[in-house]
Amino acid sequence: MSTDLPTARWQRIQQTMRNQGLDVLLLAGNAWRSDYLRYAIDVTLMEGEAVALITLDQAPQVWVQHPTEAARIRAERSTLHVHHAADFQAAVLQAMAQKGSSRQAAVPSSALPWGLAQGPWAQPVEATTAWLDELMVNKLPAEADAVERAALLADAGYAVFAQAARLGRREFELVADTEAWLRTQSCPENFMIVGSGGVEVRGMHPPGDRALQAGDLVTTELTPCVDGYYAQICRTLVVGQPSATQRDAYAVFSQALDAGIAAVRPGATHGDIARAQNAVFRQHGLGEYVGPEYTRVRGHGMGLYVDGPHVLEDVNLVLVPDMTLIVHPNTYHPAVGYMVLGDTVRVTEDGCRVLTHTTRELISVAP
Amino acid sequence: MRRGLMSWSHPEMPPERLQARVSEVQAWMAEHGVSALLAHTSIAQPSVVHWLTHFTPYWSEAMMVVWPTGAPTLLASLTKRVHPWMREVGLMGELIMAPRLGQQTAQHLLGRLSPSARVGMVGLNDLPWSVAQPLQQHAPGLQWIDASDGFAALRRASDAAELGLLAQASTKAQMALQAAPTSASLAAQTTAAIEHHARLAGAEEVMLRIAPNLSKPSAWLRVDGAMPLAPRYAVELSLAYKGAWVRWVRNFSADAPPADWSQAQAWWLQHMATPAQNAHQMAAPAVGTLQHGRIELCQGGLPLTPVMDTHTNPLPLPQGVRWGVTSAQLRLPSGDWFAAQPVQWAHGGGAAPV
Repeated sequence: MSTDLPTARWQRIQQTMRNQGLDVLLLAGNAWRSDYLRYAIDVTLMEGEAVALITLDQAPQVWVQHPTEAARIRAERSTLHVHHAADFQAAVLQAMAQKGSSRQAAVPSSALPWGLAQGPWAQPVEATTAWLDELMVNKLPAEADAVERAALLADAGYAVFAQAARLGRREFELVADTEAWLRTQSCPENFMIVGSGGVEVRGMHPPGDRALQAGDLVTTELTPCVDGYYAQICRTLVVGQPSATQRDAYAVFSQALDAGIAAVRPGATHGDIARAQNAVFRQHGLGEYVGPEYTRVRGHGMGLYVDGPHVLEDVNLVLVPDMTLIVHPNTYHPAVGYMVLGDTVRVTEDGCRVLTHTTRELISVAP
Repeated sequence: MRRGLMSWSHPEMPPERLQARVSEVQAWMAEHGVSALLAHTSIAQPSVVHWLTHFTPYWSEAMMVVWPTGAPTLLASLTKRVHPWMREVGLMGELIMAPRLGQQTAQHLLGRLSPSARVGMVGLNDLPWSVAQPLQQHAPGLQWIDASDGFAALRRASDAAELGLLAQASTKAQMALQAAPTSASLAAQTTAAIEHHARLAGAEEVMLRIAPNLSKPSAWLRVDGAMPLAPRYAVELSLAYKGAWVRWVRNFSADAPPADWSQAQAWWLQHMATPAQNAHQMAAPAVGTLQHGRIELCQGGLPLTPVMDTHTNPLPLPQGVRWGVTSAQLRLPSGDWFAAQPVQWAHGGGAAPV
């Protein structure tokens, strides 16, 4: 990874701390939500919890709950002062007290443990989380470049997935082939869920042991990580030749994705993108299938995590260049079952660049 | 990478066993005057809820509420569309879609409890603020009890079903490590082979760390980008099978292994046969120096929690421990050497590999 990007992120954190009048920032993460730690100090946790103490004038200190993780982070990030303590929350509170500053804040609300969250802080945890979220959503060009690299990996990973999807193979075997291939590319992490079957399928989930059958729709969202940044691809394939009903249904999703991507431009909002996609479903008499009973969101930000608010009709996040997101009109279709189709895009000066290159046709694999 | 096969095999984990575990918790609640017991779950801290329900969220988060009688309630931020899948892979009573997890948990509790009831929570201090803040705000009178120690004491008394899953996990991990090439020059070659084998064998989760050059003082590293391997390197594989986590290590040498590796292995086997109950009693190796010796248990939200460490936490093991993962790092004349594996303690002493 380029050394410039972690430095640039660090400088943004420091500048924002100055702007906010803070001189100490407590920043927490865990094995689920490590994105804030990655942003600030380029650390990704594999197990347990960690808390970084960031100041304006000293190298960051990090308290790590698990001793193996403490040793790993110490070896990987020599500029950090890494501590391990069995009761790491007590150690952090003691260090905070020694700082003696009244201009302290803590973040993020999704990972900050209750034992550390109760302050007193110069600003509410939610407010601190909001400004850090804003930094993470409004990306540096180098961050968007990393998402572009991840999108290329997602394309290649999907080709492996499609190759693995054959009659009789079980869902978890498809994922095994895909994940192992991603490992050959030194990819550290991938979020992936799947679905297989027909009209009875209402969504995706972790792979089970169901074996693929002829005529199945096989759905996946595949989300590999490069330099900490994720990109996602959503595609549907058919085991064997698609039926006319499957083709007709899929055409709605394809049209909706086109409409959603066409709405991505500076000044537009997440709400605009959602409405553009949903309008297509409504035109086809499928309006009830864009609500929460059948689907979740019309897309979301992509970054060190699923960053920022989701793509929904009531979300007013305004797009600016170098934001990265996936547009996906995934939902249930009453004639065929759950279908997915989604591309990662990068907002440009006059629209967006589609980073996903896999065909948007309904893919057919030999049974 | 994470999130492989997630399924519930009733022969391996009978529903009656899960119900019995819940009954044990309910007995503890009655003894301690606790009206409800809560545990939060995410992929970061999944193990309390998995032990009682066999459910782990692949994404997002959930709160389990154990009532004095009946099956636990689960409030989950996951979409309602995956509720059928959740019931397929886990055992729970009421299942509530709860995108506002903290607030809805508070409302759920106050719907059945007095505003000042005593409520236990496993991992109270670890609860994410995004859940804790609205929980506190919407149920300000509840008396919170940290139930972590009480739960841990129950949890350590493992049952036959859990030991069976651990044996499965242990076998799958060993076989996956054996599937790795011995002459890899990049970490990616090794991790891909291990990952593929483990996932095809039904591993739910796979986590790999690499010590890429054992000729130098080493630490386990995460593979994030190209990582060259020296002729001698080591791999730590942490593997979950249906919620049961183990760790195994394999040391690799492109050439004939150094002679001191066999001495280290002999020390390790001897250590394994009589695992230390106290770090001060951990036998020194005949060759080299012990960099650390560690025992981890599953007793809370984390899959494995270090409870004894020769350097940072030299405490005796808690009472009633049935299984754990031991690990060690030796600094030998030839370089570093690692080991880890699960062990099972019999009632009344004595231990054996899982």
